[in-house]
Amino acid sequence: MKKIALTNSQYIMKKGKILRTRQLTDFEKLFEISLEGGERLDHEPGQFIMLSVCGAGEIPISVSSSPSNISSSFEVCVRAVGKVTNALHKLEAGDEIGIRGPFGKGFPIRIFEGNDLLMVAGGLGIAPLRSLIKYVFDNRRDFGKVHILLGCKSPADILFLDEIEEWNQRMDVYYECTVDRAVPEWQGQVGRITTLIPGVHLEPERTFAVVVGPPVMYKFVIKELLAKNIPGRQIMVSFERHMKCGMGKCGHCQIQHVYACQDGPVFNYDEIKYLKESY
Amino acid sequence: MKRPKIAFFDFACCEGCQLQVANIGEPLLEILERIDVVEFREVMSEKWDGPLDVAIVEGSITNQHALDRIKQIRERAAVLVAYGSCATIGGVNGIKNSFDLEDIRRYVYHADYRLFPTAKTRAIHQAVPVDYSVNGCPVNIPEFVDVLKAILLGLPYEVPDYAVCVECKLNENVCMYDRGVTCLGPVTRAGCNSWCINNGNICYGCRGLVSNPNTKGAQEVLRKYRIPEDLLLKKMEMYNMCRELDKNEQT
Amino acid sequence: MKDAQYSVLRKEQFDGFISRLSKLQRVVAPVARGYNNYSFEEVSSGNGISLKYIPTILPPKKYFMPQRETLLEFDTGRGLNSEAVVECEKMTIFGIHTCDLAGIQCLNMVFTERPRDYNYLMHKRKINIIGLECNEYCDEYASCALVNASTPSGGYDLFFTDLGDRFIVHINTQIGENIIESTKFFESAGKSDLEDLTELRAGKRTLFTKEVPVEPRYIPELFDRSYNSKVWDELGERCLACGNCTLVCPTCYCFDIKDEMDLGLKSGRRNRIWDSCQLESFARVAGGENFRKERSLRQKHRYYRKFRYPVEKFSRFFCTGCGRCSRTCMAGIKLKDTLNLLIEEFEETVSTLMEGNY
Repeated sequence: MKKIALTNSQYIMKKGKILRTRQLTDFEKLFEISLEGGERLDHEPGQFIMLSVCGAGEIPISVSSSPSNISSSFEVCVRAVGKVTNALHKLEAGDEIGIRGPFGKGFPIRIFEGNDLLMVAGGLGIAPLRSLIKYVFDNRRDFGKVHILLGCKSPADILFLDEIEEWNQRMDVYYECTVDRAVPEWQGQVGRITTLIPGVHLEPERTFAVVVGPPVMYKFVIKELLAKNIPGRQIMVSFERHMKCGMGKCGHCQIQHVYACQDGPVFNYDEIKYLKESY
Repeated sequence: MKRPKIAFFDFACCEGCQLQVANIGEPLLEILERIDVVEFREVMSEKWDGPLDVAIVEGSITNQHALDRIKQIRERAAVLVAYGSCATIGGVNGIKNSFDLEDIRRYVYHADYRLFPTAKTRAIHQAVPVDYSVNGCPVNIPEFVDVLKAILLGLPYEVPDYAVCVECKLNENVCMYDRGVTCLGPVTRAGCNSWCINNGNICYGCRGLVSNPNTKGAQEVLRKYRIPEDLLLKKMEMYNMCRELDKNEQT
Repeated sequence: MKDAQYSVLRKEQFDGFISRLSKLQRVVAPVARGYNNYSFEEVSSGNGISLKYIPTILPPKKYFMPQRETLLEFDTGRGLNSEAVVECEKMTIFGIHTCDLAGIQCLNMVFTERPRDYNYLMHKRKINIIGLECNEYCDEYASCALVNASTPSGGYDLFFTDLGDRFIVHINTQIGENIIESTKFFESAGKSDLEDLTELRAGKRTLFTKEVPVEPRYIPELFDRSYNSKVWDELGERCLACGNCTLVCPTCYCFDIKDEMDLGLKSGRRNRIWDSCQLESFARVAGGENFRKERSLRQKHRYYRKFRYPVEKFSRFFCTGCGRCSRTCMAGIKLKDTLNLLIEEFEETVSTLMEGNY
């Protein structure tokens, strides 16, 4: 059997160097990565990359930084839950990893422009959403009113606390956070994220809602958003699936007839409301 | 990683799985460059009382003495590997659990039976926490090498939780049921690369059952191939009796 | 139809043809494995080949998309270095039935669609295909007529049809012509050869008829109306989730990708391994959520991937009627039975609606 080098294979990785890491919680870590030769990742908020720790494997990870970032590096926020993520957590600045992508359809920013935004993140959902939030802040005047709602299990699980403090200070954003389980020091709200939505003042016809979180959250949040009369096509969701190839072939991310890796991971509610396997 | 200190231990077993290590052949030399074997009764006389990076344990826990000893080993070892069916699922030693302990003691040891204390057979994970499992009777060397590499890399090793049929199909074997023989491949966890069937034997279920077997569906299969349910159960019990102890813990 | 596109190979020359061809390149063909099982294996003469065989255990997709295949080699010794690779060799597959030709055509569409899969395309480029006609049904599991795969429609370099004492061979490509030329066992086809072929095909049209009572063009709608059918629950109760049905399917192509390190722990490779949507872990994500946890959902997914989802994307069914899934199923889940049940259920619904004067 002859072995031939493939120069056009879609499985070719770019070399990525870890520039900095930051432990966010016990389980989540932020990695700043630069591509070889200072190449920009050139992603859209909401897109994902395939990240390799060679020997452990390759996993899909959404990009957490904004493409509007001045630096050519990008960031990913990773929870240590499996083989590859645990291996990644052991790496340090200077170590090299493999990068493919970006893949998939991100948030339709061009369509958002000129409209109000209601961004709803549950738990680790803030990781992909942070890419959009940062983009919006970098281009703030292109958008109308901006709401950010954040829900976490407990105060210790809140990611990007320092940045959130900044959002909280800004006058051009409505920010609210709730936790399922409070601790004595917790000053903020307690309860499910759905409890924050009724109180938001919004004009449904000119509001785009963006929802990212665990599957169980979608059903309830979307119900609340529809109750606010936001049209289905203006409710954007991003789905987590375990892509193996990123190219609509391996089948792992298939939701009925759509492939989350190519047709998503961002969908609007009208596209997915008939897909029973979606959430 | 510097060469980790590794020791092999055995409990109730035939020690055949350890023998498999000696049978590795040439790759063994390369493996030995990576690890420092400090105790391995089957191949060397040295002993080691100090702390261990990796303890590889063959055999099942069948009495109080064994229980005390495995607890000691666990305390000394940073990583504990259950090695072979007796260790991972109790294996054939588990057959004891289908009998009354007093009866079986008397049956085996006759008049002196009181001199031989016994207990229900346990797999290693039913006695102490286990970090890695190498299933099989005996262990499949390529899988053992994979587990060893995972240990050295500090990565978890996931035993596949699907049926041996998957690997058997990839190897394009003629299905044993087509040959009119009852095979435990459809309910047994893969990872052995369908070793036995590749060599013309049936699967005996030595790697343990898949975690979510379809019992109702399996009965249908028995009907289709006109296999008495009793026969299949007996076949499963050969290696899998200790599974009952896992079930009891869950409830 | 130009006569020049046809040649004839006398049966007594068949062994010589395969022997000669196997000296030029690797030849694989269906070989009997006992217990009415067959598989494509390497051959060096025509004698070992089963000219009458039921679909092989694995379809010829194993040559286009091997069960285990290296996609990438890497070295982490000094930083990260990697190279994409494909391992392939020139070969001819002899004796592919029309169902499996259709299967390869399906895979061609999937892997040629962008983003392209260059490992697959390299294998495809290296493989010559010689088809072999089924003059009669292999067994009761086949449903090739339903999906229009009982007669050839391209997808081969040469196509053999058994006419008793000789094969009539359709030459579809220049590669096929080169095989004919280089082996020198073929005669040109005469009028009677072509007449015999026409007669055989006419006979087949009455022999091979829709195996399931439904117009193929209505199948997508049947599936649209069957998403909540209880048929899926019944399948789920019987299915053992062993993955056999998908692994033997000529149009299933789901895969997993896994890294493997050498003992030195510095270099290794990334492999693609066949996977199955029937396995419980297939649609599970890192957090533990499983989007097709129930066996019924997974069986349903398999059927929709054959009869509904590809229709939109590729304008064809991804079932070739080969019957392998039914033949191999431990639990006796049979594709034709499933379709029949869906049709029955649909007709019951319609008649209930009619009675209600809708």
